[in-house]
Amino acid sequence: MTAAQAHRTIDALWRIESARIIAALTRLLRDVALAEELAQDALLAALEQWPRSGIPDNPGAWLMATAKHRAIDQLRRQRMLARKHEALGHELEMAQSDNDGRLEERADEAVGDDLLRLMFIACHPLLSTEARTALTLKLLAGLTTAEIARAFLVPEPTIAQRIVRAKRTLAAARVPFETLRPEQLRERLSSVMEVIYLVFNEGYSATGGEHWVRHSMCEEALRLGRVLAELAPRDAEAHGLVALMEIQASRLKARIGAGGEPILLMQQNRALWDRLLIQRGLIALARGEALGESRGPYLLQAAIAACHARAASPAETDWVLITALYDELARLTPSPVVELNRAVAVSMAYGPAAGLELTDRLAAQGVLRSYHLLPSVRGDLLARLGRYEEARGEFERAAALTHNTRECRLLRERAAACEDERDEEE
Amino acid sequence: MLAYMLLIVEAQGERRLRAAEEGRALYGKMLDYTASLKRRGLLLASESLRSSAARLSIRAGRQSIVDGPFTEAKELVGGFFLLGCATREQALGLAAECPAAEWATVEVREIGPCYE
Repeated sequence: MTAAQAHRTIDALWRIESARIIAALTRLLRDVALAEELAQDALLAALEQWPRSGIPDNPGAWLMATAKHRAIDQLRRQRMLARKHEALGHELEMAQSDNDGRLEERADEAVGDDLLRLMFIACHPLLSTEARTALTLKLLAGLTTAEIARAFLVPEPTIAQRIVRAKRTLAAARVPFETLRPEQLRERLSSVMEVIYLVFNEGYSATGGEHWVRHSMCEEALRLGRVLAELAPRDAEAHGLVALMEIQASRLKARIGAGGEPILLMQQNRALWDRLLIQRGLIALARGEALGESRGPYLLQAAIAACHARAASPAETDWVLITALYDELARLTPSPVVELNRAVAVSMAYGPAAGLELTDRLAAQGVLRSYHLLPSVRGDLLARLGRYEEARGEFERAAALTHNTRECRLLRERAAACEDERDEEE
Repeated sequence: MLAYMLLIVEAQGERRLRAAEEGRALYGKMLDYTASLKRRGLLLASESLRSSAARLSIRAGRQSIVDGPFTEAKELVGGFFLLGCATREQALGLAAECPAAEWATVEVREIGPCYE
């Protein structure tokens, strides 16, 4: 084996193994920064040994065992030190209240709980959303600082600093020692889900960055979501989040045209949708709904996405059901964007006039003033009602608001088409 | 989405040589492996396959169906795992954890178009 081959293998394995290793070490050491450092040491040991000795039979287990040995050594050293310094010793006693004999045993306790705890730590409410996201990608997705920086179009030192500060905040607040009360669990889970969905959307929305980087963000988010749903199988929203991401990811190939232009849901070639991901999404949705709680925002959005996924063509979409789901979503998480989507669904189910009425209300409220989709939707509804002159004005307004050049061109074309229609009528 | 498939390639007839209890124990190990892939969010789909098979082909517009067992075949695909992982190295690393690697062969294949 060449050194290059060994490096590639180790890099690849780090991505999928590091989270479990850091999680296990965090439980032993109660120190995220130290856990990551020792896990990295195990990685360095692999880089040093594998090119000479070859890749071990079970490389993931090798990394875990090596890292745990280092952690246990570290604890023994801490304990010797603690015996010398009684004050410190007392604190350690409280943290690790068992003897050396049990250390090895404890190192093999359930990995799942460790991982969930690490997710809770990385997404702790003490941290800003940016810090949570960076820490989650670093500790749980195994990305390097450089990769995170590239995904978020932020300079690398900014991300590095964000991570260092976050770890410091966690240590100062003694977060790894925290035990959660049952009522805190829900809140912490939603914080984790929020971060995962944010990472997914960073990949999904075409705000910039290299193509493959964005796709890999979607994949990482999906993977973390699937892990979370396995760790918290009784949480309906965790399944809802997975369902939503699986179904949205199923359209990744269909939503960008050959020239890089965005293609809207109704215009997508449905043959390009990934049936396997749709199937997985529908199963996750069913699992979430079977838990019988009242549906939260992720399950509702997943149910809406599922309506589209089930329809073989736009015409076969169950818009009445989608409207009902948007009603429920709007009651739960009222927002102008949800309201706008509801207006579109209403127009498809009950005609453009009914939809237009809802967008009139939004326009009158003065919300979404700089959001190009409001005039774009209104333009579409007005054109469907044959009110071409007003429609043209809305499309022009939308074109002026969008920052995406391709979308801008598309909107101007629609405005021009409205002008033609109007001229024909005269 | 990048994906790899692990195909479990078994020696023809080997299943029949095993005691039922032993077969079930190996199957149990494979279920544990499946669960560990799932916990890491890496499993897209997996199934194990029964030995009985039928082969269908159409030549010059004529369809033929032949029922197994196919004594001339040395091997059979005993099951598969579809993995949502990004690189060959990851797929090989996960294949190395597969218990079946000890009694069968784990073939690692990348998902992609079927023309060369």
